[in-house]
Amino acid sequence: MEHNGFLLEQKTLEGDLNSDTSHKNSVDFLMNWFRKRSIFVLAYGTGCGAIEMPPTFTSRYDAERLGIRGAATPRQADVIIVSGYCSYKTLRRIIRTYEQMSNPKYILALGSCTVNGGMYWDSYNTIKKLEDYLPVDMYVNGCMPRPESILEGFIALQKEIGEGKASSWKKYEENYEFYRKNQEAILGKKVEPSYDADWYLYDGGL
Amino acid sequence: MENKHITIFHGPQHPGITGNMSIELDLIGETIQKATTHVGYLHRGFEKLIERRTVIQAFTIVCRICVPEPDPNEANFAMAVEELAGLEVTPRAQYIRVMVLELSRLAAQFLWMAGQSGSIGLYAVGQWAIADRDLILDLFEELTGARVYHMYIYPGGVRRDLPEGFLERVTTLLIYMKKRLKDYDDIFINNASFKNRAVGVGIISKEEAVANGYVGQVLRGCGIKADVRKDAPYLVYNELEFEVPTQTTGDVYARALVRRAEMDQSLHILDQVVRKMPEGKVMIKIPTHRKFKLPKDDTWVKVESARGEFAYYMAGDGSEKIRRMQVRGPSLVHAYTLLEDLLIGAELSDVALIMNSLGICPPEIER
Amino acid sequence: MFNEIKQRFATDDVEVKRNDLYKVRIKYSRLFELMHMLRDEYDYKTLNAITCTDWIEEGHFALTYMLTTEDRKYTFMIQTMINREDAQAKTLSHEYKQAQIMERDLHEMYGIDFPGNENLKELSLESWVHTPPLRREFDTLEFVTNHLIFREGREDNVDTKAETKRLRAEKKAQKSKDEEVKDGK
Repeated sequence: MEHNGFLLEQKTLEGDLNSDTSHKNSVDFLMNWFRKRSIFVLAYGTGCGAIEMPPTFTSRYDAERLGIRGAATPRQADVIIVSGYCSYKTLRRIIRTYEQMSNPKYILALGSCTVNGGMYWDSYNTIKKLEDYLPVDMYVNGCMPRPESILEGFIALQKEIGEGKASSWKKYEENYEFYRKNQEAILGKKVEPSYDADWYLYDGGL
Repeated sequence: MENKHITIFHGPQHPGITGNMSIELDLIGETIQKATTHVGYLHRGFEKLIERRTVIQAFTIVCRICVPEPDPNEANFAMAVEELAGLEVTPRAQYIRVMVLELSRLAAQFLWMAGQSGSIGLYAVGQWAIADRDLILDLFEELTGARVYHMYIYPGGVRRDLPEGFLERVTTLLIYMKKRLKDYDDIFINNASFKNRAVGVGIISKEEAVANGYVGQVLRGCGIKADVRKDAPYLVYNELEFEVPTQTTGDVYARALVRRAEMDQSLHILDQVVRKMPEGKVMIKIPTHRKFKLPKDDTWVKVESARGEFAYYMAGDGSEKIRRMQVRGPSLVHAYTLLEDLLIGAELSDVALIMNSLGICPPEIER
Repeated sequence: MFNEIKQRFATDDVEVKRNDLYKVRIKYSRLFELMHMLRDEYDYKTLNAITCTDWIEEGHFALTYMLTTEDRKYTFMIQTMINREDAQAKTLSHEYKQAQIMERDLHEMYGIDFPGNENLKELSLESWVHTPPLRREFDTLEFVTNHLIFREGREDNVDTKAETKRLRAEKKAQKSKDEEVKDGK
């Protein structure tokens, strides 16, 4: 049957999300299906790309129809969006937040700044390549990415989750030494989280 | 039970914070004893990057200084460069600049409306306001090719002329907005749940506001008619008719009323701009970017952004690079001197409300 | 106003930049006297900003104080030079509350010391141990190359200059070819 208008858009967006056959057994399939259809995104605007998040999640682009919605705390979130350039100070908080999230967890990186530094390639306070410090599942390029691109990024991520391919959190656990080494190279030995009750006392606050 | 001292962090990862910043709050029970602002999560070293770039290269990054409202940055940068280099912009370009600035102010006010209503849990207003802001962004996209970072107000004019029929589409938008804003009065400004929360909260006195260099709605909310567009008119604002709305109480609600009245004034200004738009060129001849040199001189320019006076200091040194550009946005003083004062004695649940009413935008504090 | 400033402070360096912007250059020792005079007698009550420019060739920092009238109509730029080595300036944070945060910013970015300012902690940087970043001798490109990992270019990445040259030569050849064909006809 020919689709047009909204139905066509929905069909194009979701594409072959529903027709993946790569699962090993039906339990895997079911688990992945649940995961991809309920993605909770942590409300942490780390960079300028955060300004396109409200349009994505509100009535015009309406990401919620795809099962993507906001979550207030890291413990309840599945996806953290690193929306653009990432200064050292923010990177420390992102690492802390990311480690607090429960598995399975995914990272969506927005903007050219996370890919290669973008406009700030010669800035002394931003990192140039996010995947050296944290495992990235999906990059969405652009400066800044439009809501449509963010949605497409989410769909691509959902597809990977559905096929069971998105497993960056496992990669992070397996290659923890590598990531930790890179993090310490720019942040110093005191990389959060230190998980100490009074860490802020000797750290001078957040 | 005895009240105990606790310290908590509001942000940077928090839905009720206006951007990537944090406030350290000392509480007894629910009442704030001391607030300390922390910024720097978005520091990119703009002022250093601009020193290494030629004038035209620097132009492409200045709009990134303030994310919700990039156009005042472009206007400031272009005006400072023009003043140092002695360039005169054509009338049509000036009118187009006013149009872009007012549209961007309107868009920023819609974003504020979404944040302010979200801070007290009125999420429906946010859904409307973001969707209505998108109508303005669509116009921007047609005009400049980008939704948020326009890079349109170029030193020497504007980057290109208006597309065919653009002014008609602006008029259509104005008619829609005039009708639509009344709905916001009903659902948000006159809403009892907003009034109950906002009246009498976050009061700023007049003397303090003058002495400490507060700007924008903070000043106008406590009865001072200060607006750069009237006080030191730039572009063609002296040819346009508009009023500076003020309130006297100086609380969150007064600032909301001022902002709401300013949206009407923006529509009024846009109406005049569309009718008065002159014909002519939009760009004057400027040197190529390797030969664009600024003399050894300095200047201080300011425009009125949606949150108040936005100023640039620019110094040239006779070479093709800018020697120094300092950004003085409205948020620097608001986020530190004002917010730290205002939060003392406030309730924890009012933090997001007060922050949103000041319109604090962290990227312009740390640059 | 200008005459009084010229006489009292023995300076000729007063200029009108715009109809709402004036600028004076003055010795550091007389700076605060002038600011007090402008505040008490001419209504320049608000300190709007403090900026600093690094003139490394001449060996000094130019500190510029922006004073604004109460009605926010006129701005006075007062510029003064301080020594670049162990730069120091008196704090204004006791007279103007907002000066505190501006001085903290300058202290971090240039390493200027403001004795008397209670809080000169880091503002936007965190655990920064290198040269203050806005000083001219700090080379950000060198810093970035030494400290950070860059993404390698794409495989089809080409040297832009050589490529432009090649394309231009190609275009030229094509053009002369076209002309030959034209002439041939």
